Amino acid sequence: MDTLATTGRKNALDTSLGKKPALLSAENLMLGYGGKTIVDQLSLEIPAGQITAIIGPNGCGKSTLLAGLARLMKPKAGRVLLNGRCIHQQQGRSVARQLALLPQQMLAPDGLTVAELVRFGRQPHQGMLQRWSDTDARHVEQAMELTRVSALAGQPLDEVSGGQRQRAWLAMVVAQDTPLLLLDEPTSALDLGHQLEVFEVIRQLVRQGKTIVMVVHDIIAACRYADHMIAMKNGQVLASGTPDAVVTERLMQQLYGVNCQIMRDPVSGSLLLAGVNRTGHVL
Amino acid sequence: MTLQTNRTVYRMALVLTALALLFFVSLLFGAGPVGWQDSLWLLTGHGEGLGEQVHFTLFELRLPRTLLAIIVGAGLGASGVVLQTVTRNTLAEPGLLGVSAGASFAIVMAIYWGASASALNLQAAMAGALAGCLLVLAASQVSGTRQDPVRLILAGAALSGLLLAISSVLLLLDQRTADEMRFWLIGALAGRPFEAVRFSGLVTLAGICVLLFRLPALSALSLGHAVAVGLGHRPWQVQLTALLVVALLVGAATAAAGPIAFIGLVAPFAARAWVGPDIRNSFWPSLLLGSCILLAADIISRLVVIPYELPVGVVTAFIGAPVLLAVVRRQRMPTL
Amino acid sequence: MKTNIIITTRWPVLLLLSGLLLLLVLASLHYASDLTLGETLSALVGKGNLYSVFLIQELRLPRILTAVFSGMALGVAGCLLQTLARNRLATPNIIGLDNGATAFAVASVVAVPVSLATPALALVGAATAAALAFGLSGGPGTQGYRFIVMGVGVGAVFGALTNFMLARADMDSANVAYPWTVGSLNARSEEVIVWLGLALLFCLPLALYLARSLNVMRLSDAVATGLGVHIRRTRWLTLTVTVVLTGFAVALAGPVGMIALAAPEIARRLIASGHVPVPEAALTGSCLMLLADGIGQHAFSPIEIPVGLVTALVGGPYLLWILLRQPGGKTL
Repeated sequence: MDTLATTGRKNALDTSLGKKPALLSAENLMLGYGGKTIVDQLSLEIPAGQITAIIGPNGCGKSTLLAGLARLMKPKAGRVLLNGRCIHQQQGRSVARQLALLPQQMLAPDGLTVAELVRFGRQPHQGMLQRWSDTDARHVEQAMELTRVSALAGQPLDEVSGGQRQRAWLAMVVAQDTPLLLLDEPTSALDLGHQLEVFEVIRQLVRQGKTIVMVVHDIIAACRYADHMIAMKNGQVLASGTPDAVVTERLMQQLYGVNCQIMRDPVSGSLLLAGVNRTGHVL
Repeated sequence: MTLQTNRTVYRMALVLTALALLFFVSLLFGAGPVGWQDSLWLLTGHGEGLGEQVHFTLFELRLPRTLLAIIVGAGLGASGVVLQTVTRNTLAEPGLLGVSAGASFAIVMAIYWGASASALNLQAAMAGALAGCLLVLAASQVSGTRQDPVRLILAGAALSGLLLAISSVLLLLDQRTADEMRFWLIGALAGRPFEAVRFSGLVTLAGICVLLFRLPALSALSLGHAVAVGLGHRPWQVQLTALLVVALLVGAATAAAGPIAFIGLVAPFAARAWVGPDIRNSFWPSLLLGSCILLAADIISRLVVIPYELPVGVVTAFIGAPVLLAVVRRQRMPTL
Repeated sequence: MKTNIIITTRWPVLLLLSGLLLLLVLASLHYASDLTLGETLSALVGKGNLYSVFLIQELRLPRILTAVFSGMALGVAGCLLQTLARNRLATPNIIGLDNGATAFAVASVVAVPVSLATPALALVGAATAAALAFGLSGGPGTQGYRFIVMGVGVGAVFGALTNFMLARADMDSANVAYPWTVGSLNARSEEVIVWLGLALLFCLPLALYLARSLNVMRLSDAVATGLGVHIRRTRWLTLTVTVVLTGFAVALAGPVGMIALAAPEIARRLIASGHVPVPEAALTGSCLMLLADGIGQHAFSPIEIPVGLVTALVGGPYLLWILLRQPGGKTL
């Protein structure tokens, strides 16, 4: 397990040195609902072939930012560029072949089976008349193998466990076969073991050359799995870069209003927070 | 995959056979002084000895009525399954959501302003159904309806009640409208000219064709707005097209047969139980089962209280209520 | 930070509503009669010439009592059911009670001549609809929403039956049955007024008592249980009170559903949101009913518009507004 984790980190470091061009970027992005602005004048670049984690306190606009990047929201100002072109000016289907999205709230009709769900991922690759091809079948099979839900294929989604359901949804997004995947809190409400399973799948995807952007609540998990981090507060980017560069005692203070010490996990080598307590209070 | 294709073919064959059977039963039995023996003789090509009356009863009375039941049933079944997908609510049905009420209210208005009840007031019905659809869409966007499917039904019931009350005012003020509407309002398939059958048939066919192109997008919509966008669809556009077509279908059905409730609930419910929840699989079964159920209801309505006829709307209501119960029992909804 | 906990007292609002109701009652007694105010008042206690006593005591007073009682009953029933369902659209008429009553009343007029009076049958109809919805959905239990959806279904069946009977009936019977399909204070019967009065006497205190538990149940069942509310009992009692009040009100005035929607809504606006506005809804319901009946009688004179239609026409736009309300609005 840990050897897997450390090699993953090494790979990621190598690629970040190579400085691949940005697949996805935002320029002066402004997002909000009605008269309320949630993300203000934000610019960023998502490094290719890496796991980018967006972190920040509740209500800082991280899910809104992800929704903006995934074209779920039209920006009030600025724009999102996918492969150098404005995402809103591209065909919906062609975007869906470059970028897949796993939303936080997952709704499925009662009785839908795992395999049926995963097959939805192939929709962007199917034409109006041409329906189901061998390529589609192969991608669905591979996605279900990668996320280890093949054995559940015929089971209704509402009868499998929470962790299995999460992986089934991940399989749907993987089957979309896009170079870029946006995941909104892919491990929320999962226990430690199931969280690890999902993160391992994500790491495997990166090894296949995919780019991942995810909103993560758990900062330790973000430190462990992300290659690149974007720290947000009040709709602004406070810091971005490698976890080592971003996760500092001062930033934790700014983001969450907590004092802590940053340490290194003696086993995996990733960063840990120790002695966390609220600013102004002594433990 | 081939196994599944085989099963689909088998199922389609089964439903089509049932429909064909019902079609013949509908021609054989029913009101009118013609017994089933004579009808059978005529249909098997031995009609020379039989009088004009048998001919007339079969081809001028029973055939249009049978065709109309098939058309209206298909239209209502299709609109039910589409509404249920768009609102992500298995209780959504044109009758319960007030779409049919919108259409019939518009027809009452049209008749009040001088149109004849025996004509096919399709434009008015469609406009009314469209208004009902848009209200449903608006109500389904209001916070809370997404987590709580009952709210949408209540909104529909409230809308129907309101429109009924306004219709009552019009009927109070105008005796002619009242006389014409009394019969139309209960939902009836009988006594419609071939013209009406042909016209509503064409409109229904057109609507179904448009929906066919939208099936993948609609099925993606059942996974939520965000997923639909992620898969490259435009949810708003899809929803709007779907609702426009539903308005067309419900308008045509209501104009031809009056408000008939519950077909749009019962047919998709049966279809889903049979082929699963994905609208790409359940669309055709819903449509065909809609035809079967309405035709069966119409046959029942003719046979229960011979020589009178029950209005078909009453029969469908009696079929629909238990299914409504089943849907509610099956669904995991928030408690009160 | 210092917070101000505002403790609102409800008496001013209640007094104001009572005053308004009194004023409306007086106005309804007095309006468009050729008596002076003094004559009207003395006729009320039986003094004065025969004509004025007859007009006030025999013609106007029963009608006004009908309006006040039925408005009160519908207001309370609507308020209770809305709160229980956490939905402002969940009023007794929506869940089929009115349709049941109408179907039975129409049946007694056009189809099945029975010795039982039409209002009594309307009551039986409302109870039947409620019983069907209860029975088919397995009681209100923890799955109370089932009861409501079944109510919608049962209501649809009864509606279809009513339409069927009206279409089958000859024109005269259909016209006699008409008030029962729209709601009108003309169909009143003295006996039912007394019955409804008694029902109110019994149900109002009960409703006031239930309001406290319902107020906590607005949060969630789990929270309410945690705070010591007996959920199952409260739910059963609330539904029973609702059915009884609606049944008598509909037996008296026909299906005037809008009152049950509008009265609690207005009442809710009058007081702080921390309460279930049972007494306010009762008074508002009465006021609305009197007002609507007054408009129906006099606005388009000599044509009299039934009160049910007046409330529907006035309440309709309001209902649409509720349906189209923007997300994030105040919810129950």
